[in-house]
Amino acid sequence: MAELRRFLIRRFLTFIPTLIGVTFIVYLIAAVVPANPARLWAGGQKANPQVIAMLVKEYHLNDPFYVQYYYFMKGFLENSMVSPVTGYKVWYEVKTYMPVTIQLTLISFVFILLIGIPLGIISALKKDTWIDATIRVVALVGVSVPIFWLAYLLIFLFFTKLGWITLSGTPTPPYSITGIPLIDSILKLDWHTQWEIIKRYWLPGIILAYPGIGVIARLVRNSFLDALGADFVDYVDARGLPKSQRYRHVLKNAMVPIITVLGLQFGGLLAGAPITETIFGLPGIGRFMLTSIYSFDYLSLMGGVFIIALIYMTVNLIVDILYALIDPRVRY
Amino acid sequence: MRCKDPIIVVKDLYVYFYTYAGIVQAINSVSLEICRGETYCLVGETGCGKSVTSKALTRLIKPPGRIEKGEIYYYPEPGKKIDIRKLSEEELRELRGYEISYIFQDPSTSLDPLYTLGYQVAETMAFHKVVHNIKDGIRKAVVVLKNAMMPDAETRVKAYPHELSGGLKQRGAIGISLANQPRLLIADEPTTALDVTIQAQIMDFLRKLKEKEGLTLLLITHNMGLVAEMCDTVAVMYAGEIVEEAPVEILFKNPMHPYTKGLLKAVPVHVGKKVTLQSIPGTVPNLIFPPPGCRFHPRCSYKFDPCDKKRPPMIEVEENHKVACWLYEKKG
Repeated sequence: MAELRRFLIRRFLTFIPTLIGVTFIVYLIAAVVPANPARLWAGGQKANPQVIAMLVKEYHLNDPFYVQYYYFMKGFLENSMVSPVTGYKVWYEVKTYMPVTIQLTLISFVFILLIGIPLGIISALKKDTWIDATIRVVALVGVSVPIFWLAYLLIFLFFTKLGWITLSGTPTPPYSITGIPLIDSILKLDWHTQWEIIKRYWLPGIILAYPGIGVIARLVRNSFLDALGADFVDYVDARGLPKSQRYRHVLKNAMVPIITVLGLQFGGLLAGAPITETIFGLPGIGRFMLTSIYSFDYLSLMGGVFIIALIYMTVNLIVDILYALIDPRVRY
Repeated sequence: MRCKDPIIVVKDLYVYFYTYAGIVQAINSVSLEICRGETYCLVGETGCGKSVTSKALTRLIKPPGRIEKGEIYYYPEPGKKIDIRKLSEEELRELRGYEISYIFQDPSTSLDPLYTLGYQVAETMAFHKVVHNIKDGIRKAVVVLKNAMMPDAETRVKAYPHELSGGLKQRGAIGISLANQPRLLIADEPTTALDVTIQAQIMDFLRKLKEKEGLTLLLITHNMGLVAEMCDTVAVMYAGEIVEEAPVEILFKNPMHPYTKGLLKAVPVHVGKKVTLQSIPGTVPNLIFPPPGCRFHPRCSYKFDPCDKKRPPMIEVEENHKVACWLYEKKG
């Protein structure tokens, strides 16, 4: 356990340089774009020179980019950094848009788990039958089809033709515990809000999840078959252990690669969120970041980058811990 | 009947594997008898069906393999006969690992890497109701491992397979297999993956164990030295058939089948004058299209008329010495 604590502390410490690295690189890219941000922010061609001068001073635009970066990070973390375009504090914007994205990725992730893993297991158990073949084709389609195409196809079906989904607004309950309505409504046992959220999110969730479902189904199939064919399974049978015990050994061994890829998949969901949010009109952080790019509001963009990097790192930390718990060969 | 008190009797056993390439006739009319308390050896080249025969004894053959025909009887006590082929899956499970145990070739793949040695000993006992539960079993595992000459068993109980050397792993595996004090131990090349000094230790241990517990040992090997040292009775297998069976001294003194002769000439002898090692010309036949008649005839230098047409019967040339070869037809 002392080892685990040391491992956790070490991992938390690596958060800091990673966060600095990610945000610094993004800031660098934004800063080297040959544009005059102050003029853009002040209104373009007709901008008032006085306003421009004020913005330059306020955001240290005449300083080298690393100094600008320092002031941004300081302001962001102290919650005093205000977006020059929207006029809101960057931290406030992040807090406003993040819950939508978290809900979307959580729902997608649940879809990956609930659809991808069973499909893979069925595929492995029914190996080389038509069921296996069908699942593999579905998985292959998932990996290869662009999600925006699939999204419009399914919107046409479920919204235009069947009317099973809503396409505007996001349900917000009057109470707030964690700030994420999905989790709050579960904690409050508020099934009505829960249902509203699911109605709004299931289709974007499944579309965002589809490529991940394909990847996971294929991976689960292969690692399950690998584990089933391992020598220790023969030995489990030869020792006269019951079937349940046999699957216990097989599943645990198959989980090792699956867990690793699930962590990466979560990153894929965050990366896919901007497109899905834009198509479905969900006011999430992905769409917010896209809008920020259009208006050259790289300070808001940085807020989004920061928070997404943080979430991704946290998820992968959890993956690493699970990994080490499952596989004794991986110790901290 | 060779044995007065057999523990295993196999009559006319056929095992086929249904592969894409065709039907592999892996075991072709094998009959054998193992006497209670003896060490019975199956020798032959890789792929001759030694392991398949041993697995068939408790119906461990997995698809695409299948026992086509034949009788397998197990006698837990003198006079008490169990028809293995008529047992249900559950009855078989209770038999495996409790009355009949296996040790496999490579301990580094036959142990599950994700569970401790103690757990794997404990589960073997717990699911045969030798102990009440896993926790109880882990406590008893120390004694079991000590009996299997595991040094420092108290700490090794908590060790994972990757933390042990090859020799220790095999001792662990032997401990697991002997945990329930089986009547018949089937050791499938138990020392092939180990180095020579550890080989000797493990063989010594098995011999002592036999004397102490009255265990019957079915030893599968391709090591003629081991055969000479350990066995009471030897059966030589070639391409899925038993070609010769004899008490060990007789087999070494008076090998009769051309294949057995070739096999013995291919073993280095360290005493006496230098003799050039001889190899048997040709290769093991493809068992999808086995040679007609005697399966050894394409490689046999004594080949004559009936060999490629009719399968030779088992001829008893002297007491307990049987050979399947047309050379001895008239003499027998």
